[in-house]
Amino acid sequence: MLSNVKEYFRPKTVEEAFEIMEADREHSIFLSGGTIVALMESSRIERIIDLKSLRFDSVSIKEDEIVVGATTTVEAFRKDPLVRKEFGDFFYDSFSLVGSWQIRNMATIGGSIAPKLGWSDVSACLLAAGAGLIVYGSDGYRKMLLSDYFALPAGEKPLITHIIIKKDGWISAFEKFSKTTFDIATVNVALSIRPERGRIKAARVVCGSRPQYPMRFDTIESALEELEINDLMPSIVRSLVFDNFTGGSNMLASFEYRKHLASVMAQKAAEKIKEMVI
Amino acid sequence: MKITLDVNGNLHEINIDPGDYLLEVLRDLGYKSVRRSCHSASCGTCTVLVGGKPVLSCSTFAASVDGQRIETVEGLSQGEKLHPIQEAILEEGGAQCGYCIPGIVLTGEALLRENPDPSDEDIKLALNGNICRCTGYESQNRAIKKAAEVMRGDDYE
Repeated sequence: MLSNVKEYFRPKTVEEAFEIMEADREHSIFLSGGTIVALMESSRIERIIDLKSLRFDSVSIKEDEIVVGATTTVEAFRKDPLVRKEFGDFFYDSFSLVGSWQIRNMATIGGSIAPKLGWSDVSACLLAAGAGLIVYGSDGYRKMLLSDYFALPAGEKPLITHIIIKKDGWISAFEKFSKTTFDIATVNVALSIRPERGRIKAARVVCGSRPQYPMRFDTIESALEELEINDLMPSIVRSLVFDNFTGGSNMLASFEYRKHLASVMAQKAAEKIKEMVI
Repeated sequence: MKITLDVNGNLHEINIDPGDYLLEVLRDLGYKSVRRSCHSASCGTCTVLVGGKPVLSCSTFAASVDGQRIETVEGLSQGEKLHPIQEAILEEGGAQCGYCIPGIVLTGEALLRENPDPSDEDIKLALNGNICRCTGYESQNRAIKKAAEVMRGDDYE
């Protein structure tokens, strides 16, 4: 619970929101869906800056990209007709595993990325989809890859305004293991491949809740290039994830448990993709 | 700060602290069907509808829903006449201690507005965030299906 909130701002522009934050960063916090902020235990936060007043809550197509406003809720995004048309059931099914219906109606896409949460299913899936971001910071607007956002130094916190996902023929699948149906992931795995003439032309392999934030595994992705998409492919994916998984232990699971789990889930995701391709 | 809430069609202009949660504000206004339990977005007893969508009032800042339409269970029944979901929950034995029921009724209502003929799987997915420790959910699932039939019927207004 935030026990010391004194001011609540509803900025009308991104610039105004950023200025309010910069005026007293130590005591301020951006609020998007609220599912993280409202549950924080802090007496330090005195100023809430509500980003929903910016009305970045729509999904649109711009040339070969889907542009998603950062305050679009997870539920609105997964059910959006444009998203379903361009990405089939990937986001629709994957994001149905995010929290509960209530939480998905509150949590936003931008708010799921910004805190760099290790267990974020949203971040894992978007990484696998090769998503980019439009952010606003002290240098103004800029585009960046989601993976680069995760690598930003802790002190650098630009404001995410939009998420960009290219429509470029990748096929994706997601697997999550959690202890109850709407608990956070013990491990999640998102896998995307670009098929070409029955082989994997390129791959994105993402493991999240390691417990650190989701990351792509370059070694596995390189090893999968030119691999034939056949009945053997899923077990090869499993072995590669098992051999290359990096992560740690926490109260949810040990490193060894995660490593085994991630490899099995990667195999399952690869099975799904194989079924879609063949 | 001053905000306006439209709760079940009743307008409330109220003064709140900027960090107040919707759950407490609604209860202070007398909407006691909105239940306080986990206060950690985990159980669903505090579910209300904001703009017709189920959300958790325990983790919603009241200031963030300024000017929006909020629905609680108090707004569903018409005097003595219960809402079809409430009626069906009674008939199917879906309520034992009853603590979770307002949240389940509202989630069910939101589901039936969106999908008047839900499958068992649709109901399970919708009620995923409403924890009941008495019934095991079967009777509540049956109740929502039963209410859906009633609400699809010609006689239902």
